[in-house]
Formats: sequence, structure tokens, C-alpha cells
Amino acid sequence: MTITYVDNNATTRVAPEVYQAMGPYFTDDYFNPSSMYEPAKRIARAIAESRQRIARLFGLHDDREILFTGCATESDNAAIFGAARANPHRRHIITTTVEHPAVLDVCKDFERNGYDVTFLGVDRNGNLDIGEFVRALRPDTLLVTIMHANNETGVVFPIEQLSRLTKETDPTILFHTDATQSVGKAPLDLPRQFPHVDMLSFSGHKFHAPKGVGGLYVKRGTPCRPLLIGGHQEDGRRAGTENVPYIVGMACAMQVAADCYDDEDTRVRRLRDRLETAIEAQVPYVIVNGKDAPRLPNTLSICCYSVEGEAILAMLDSDGICASSGSACTSGSLEASHVLRAMKVPVHAAHGSVRFSFSRYNTDQDVDRIVEAFPAVIANLRKISPLWDSQKNEPRISERVVA
Amino acid sequence: MGWEYSEKTKQLFLDAVHGKPGTHLGEIEDPDGLGEHGSVACGDAIRFTFRVRRHPDDPTKDVITTARYLTFGCTSAIAASEALCTIIEQTERTPIEALKITNNDIVQFLEGLPRQKVHCSVMGAEALEAAVFNWAQKRGVDLARLGVTLHTADQEEGRIVCKCFSLSEPYIRRKIKELNLHTVAEITGAIKAGGACASCHHAPGGLQDLLDETWGNRDLKLKVLPELPLVEPVQAAAPPSERVVDSPYQFSKKIEAAINEHVRPMLQCDGGDVEIIDIKDTVVYCRLQGVCKGCASAQQTLRMLIEQTLKDRVDERIRVIGV
Repeated sequence: MTITYVDNNATTRVAPEVYQAMGPYFTDDYFNPSSMYEPAKRIARAIAESRQRIARLFGLHDDREILFTGCATESDNAAIFGAARANPHRRHIITTTVEHPAVLDVCKDFERNGYDVTFLGVDRNGNLDIGEFVRALRPDTLLVTIMHANNETGVVFPIEQLSRLTKETDPTILFHTDATQSVGKAPLDLPRQFPHVDMLSFSGHKFHAPKGVGGLYVKRGTPCRPLLIGGHQEDGRRAGTENVPYIVGMACAMQVAADCYDDEDTRVRRLRDRLETAIEAQVPYVIVNGKDAPRLPNTLSICCYSVEGEAILAMLDSDGICASSGSACTSGSLEASHVLRAMKVPVHAAHGSVRFSFSRYNTDQDVDRIVEAFPAVIANLRKISPLWDSQKNEPRISERVVA
Repeated sequence: MGWEYSEKTKQLFLDAVHGKPGTHLGEIEDPDGLGEHGSVACGDAIRFTFRVRRHPDDPTKDVITTARYLTFGCTSAIAASEALCTIIEQTERTPIEALKITNNDIVQFLEGLPRQKVHCSVMGAEALEAAVFNWAQKRGVDLARLGVTLHTADQEEGRIVCKCFSLSEPYIRRKIKELNLHTVAEITGAIKAGGACASCHHAPGGLQDLLDETWGNRDLKLKVLPELPLVEPVQAAAPPSERVVDSPYQFSKKIEAAINEHVRPMLQCDGGDVEIIDIKDTVVYCRLQGVCKGCASAQQTLRMLIEQTLKDRVDERIRVIGV
């Protein structure tokens, strides 16, 4: 069976040109870039070129502002721990309730260790209240860490506005953004678009580089101590021998992604929009999450009343469609997705969430196949759901079904 | 987090959802027994019904002939419901005999369940119990006199330990013993308790305490963490009294008055307006509205008009930030 892969916010396939670019660094060019001999210096130059390439794509003149890490989770941890260790007199962090766990759980851990953390909520569309944000800023605020685009819903936060307000209030408050879902999907010129952002995390495998490599932008002069200590690599700011082939791969992938930004914003957006329109037309009682908010062009998150997300995924899977869900049963946490709960999606619908996320490798045929399969999947699961009234064809709403 | 279901589980799920002959989804009209378990908040719920072949004289000899379910839940919840109905129908049991089916029988029938999914099999067993209770009421069978104890009721009574899934102390205590649970993770895997906010794990009277009381305290108490080094208290740049003489209330009133008298009329002439979002110390956060919003000279309006007016009329240290 052919696979319809629409889970690109989870990970993406490695682009063929990326795979090819990485090849030599596994076979002939295996040297440690820190070694002294000529072949090793060639490797060091490959890393330097990759760093320059990425810096240039971010509009940066100083390529030392880019650090290579193992993944975006490491980048987020490095930013938050680094900021806290470099500024021990400040004990207040501002974040949101819809962050990725790589930020949210780190902030919760800081809270356990005596820090004061403000978790900003969102409205039904997934938007922040700017007034609430302003009121949260304090004289002892150490760090603001707010994601750029949400991984589950694709809702984009106004990072430029939030970072400007932060810096105009107090230039010593650090501003970090987790841009894992947006980097590689749209052009991002940091000095022009995000002049007030101090740190920004990104991850290679979200834009067709392999898993296992990420990056952290740290603006020159930002007080931030290293997370990994024990080596001079990355100017001592991230110790550990460089993952050479993956770094080369990520730089290549970012270049290719940059050439495809138009495609992402036009063709990929149309795929998403077509699927959204078709599902809304053919399936009753669905909610499109973040419909009225600015969203990534590739992400469609929907909630279906009276059915459970994991069962939806299992049935789509049996049709060869790979998607994901923020439902309790897929996360292992037993509660519906924290993002959807923060958006106050009704519980009857929040458990039935499905996320379709496209990439430049998706086609119209992929959308056709989902449109063909999806309404029947929901109809079948509703037929067997005690929370669905098949006669009236509407949800049977009761808060508790316990005997 | 991913997991693997057994082939049997996957097959049962797909058969059920596609309504293959021999599967059991549905609801019996006017059933002899009806039981429900779970809730929307938990992410799964089952409505279980059965019909019996009535014995003319002795209702305790009724035999279950047909069993049906409606289930809202994940792959394993649906497969477990299917398994429960199949076991009951295959073995021709009286309702009281059916009570002997445990969640372990269901797990075995499914050829194993991932640890995080064991609660799905428990749900089926609970719904069955509720349905038998319902049958007994309808048929006038006194279960207690027959030595059958039902536990369905303790879910609703007693102190709630796990607030997220409203599970009570008697219910959790019973499950700890019945299912031989020894760790908090096992409890969560089997009956969901403690699976959401986790605050009941180590709270006084929480899951760990219930485990210790059930199995005896085996020195599992959490070690005391070392004291964190004290951090110097935050020093404000200068005491507020030296910076602003007015109280924050008076100060805000003055700012509002100045904006109302001297700024707003000018902006409104041009079809614009301004909203004060917040005032922190001497920083005033404003949002321009109407035509002023997005106007090319918005920054100048903020600086030259609003900030300067407030500096002149209220306090020269005032700064205006546009939101």
C-alpha cells in the first residue's frame, strides 16, 4: 500500500539532495574537525561553511550567532537554563500554556525549584492577550520564552510585537522563541523581522534534514551560559564533537527549503485549504482549531465531536494515511492535549483531535485520498460511540457516563 | 510515546469498526442488563448491554445470550469491548458467572496490552459489573444474599484522591489489591488514577500513601532534597517613594486625565483613539486605535504627542510604549 504521509510537523523525509550532501562525511571525510592535520581542517571548513550558509539565510552577518545542537529540545533547554544561570538574581519567567513540552516542562521544573513562572493562556482561537502579557512583565523578569508557531494547531504568535514590548520595557529581560515549526517553512530574516529576539531554537528534521541536529540562534552579547560543558567546540558554548554530516545536511536542507518558500506559501497552502474545506463540508460537528488566527500554511488541526483521536489514527493508518492527534490516548498522559484544553475546545471534541501537516512532497492525490477516507472513518466511529446520537445525527452530550 | 498493539487487538478493532459479521457493536433495545463506565473527561466511555435467556423459575439460572457495546475510546478500548462480548457469548454464562471475567481474561484474549492501556480492559470489566447489578435489580435477585459483592458504588463514595478522573479512595484501595498494583505507575496504567496532573502521587493521602498502607511501608519514602542555596532578594533600582511621589492610583488617575483632556480630543479629530493597556511604575503602555492604528506616523504620535504630553503634565520620567 502506498503511504500518504501528512505528519510533517512530527518529522519530515530527508530530501534526496540532503542525503547526498551528507554522504561523504560518513565515508571519506570522517575526521575530527578539531584535529590538526589538513584533512581534518577540511572538515572544520565544511562546518564553517554550513554555519555561514545558515547565518546568511537568517539574514545574519555574524555567523557566530548560530550554534549547532542535537535537537530543538536541547536548544530550548540550553536557552532557558543558559539564561537562568547567567542571570541568577532574576527569578521570574514568562511563557504560555501552549508551549511544546521542551519549554513547558522545563519552566515547570524551574517553578519546582523556586522560580516564579507566569503561564499565559490563550483564547478560543489560540491567540494571546497582549494586555495580559504586558501586565506579566516584572522588574525581576529574567526571560520570556514564547513559541513562534504552535506544533499542534499551527497558530503563529506575534513574536515581533512581544519581543519589542519586552525590550522597550526592560532591555535586560531576555527573549527566547521556539521556532521549530516555522523555520524552514517561511523566510525569516532575523535582524529585520525579529530585531528584539535574543535566542531562537530550530530543528533540522522539520525541514527535510535528518533527525538529530538542531540549532540555536544566540544574539551577540546575550548573557547565556552553556548547557553542555567540557570542550572548546562552538566557541565553548556547546561542548561535544560536532555532528559533521548532520550539520552539513541541515545547512543543505535549509538552502533547499529557502528555494521552496513560495511553493510552501502557495501550493502547500492550497492543499491544506482544500482539505479543510472538504472536511468541513462533509463531516458534521468538526472544529477547525485556530481557524481565525494567523496559522502556518501547512497545518490543519481539527476536532471531531464524540470520537477518540487514537481510534481515528488507527483507522486512517489502515488506509495508509499517517497523521497525528493531540488526544489523550496517543500521548500516554491520559488528558486531552494541553494545547486544545488551553484553547477551551469542548471536552466532547478535544479527545477527537487530528492533525494533518503537509510538506512540499505532498500532492493533490494525497488530499484526494484523505478526503475519500476521512468522512467514512468518522462516521464509522460515531456509529459505535455512546456519545453520538445516530438517529439525530448529533453528539449526545452528557458530562458523565459513569454508571 | 508510541506502543505496539498485538495483531489480535488491531484485527478486533478493525473488524468492529467496519461492522463485520460476528462483531458486537450496538445497543440492545430494552436490555436485561445495562451498565456504563468511564466519562468523556477520561477520554473513554463504554455503554454495555446484554440479553438473557430467562429461566422460567429461577432468575439466577438466566443465561446471557447476546452482549453489545457502544464505546468511545482508542483502539484498545474498542478491542477490549469486543473481547468482553465475545468471551461472554462464547461461554454461555449466567450473569453471576460472567462476573468472574476479569480484566486479565480480556488482556489474555487480546494477546496482551501495552502497560499504558491496561485501563481499557478494566473499563470493560467495570461496565459488565454495572450491567449485572442492573440485571439483578430488574429480576429481583438479591446479590448480597448470594454472597456476591459489587463494588460499582464505591466509585462515587468516599474521599476523591485523583481529582482529574474523580476516583475515590475506596475504589483505588480495592483496585490496588485486586489488580496487585505496587507502584504509582502501575496504578495509573491500570485505572488512570494520577495520570493527568500527577499532584496526587505524593500528596498526603495520595497514591503512594495508599500503596504504603496496603502493602506496608517499605522505606519507599522520598528522600529529602538538599536545601537550595538562598538567592539574594531582587533589588529594585530605587525605592518607589523616591521615584513617584503619587500613589500608583493617583498617578494612574493623572495619566488618564491628561490623556482624556489633551490627547484623546486630538486623535479623535482625525478618527483615531488611544487605549491605555497598563501603567507600570512610570511606563505607560498604549494601543492606538481607529485610523491611528497602522498609521505611518504612529511612532511619532506616541512619542511626540502622548509621551511629551504626559512628561509635561504629569511626570517628566514617563515613558510611553506602543502595544
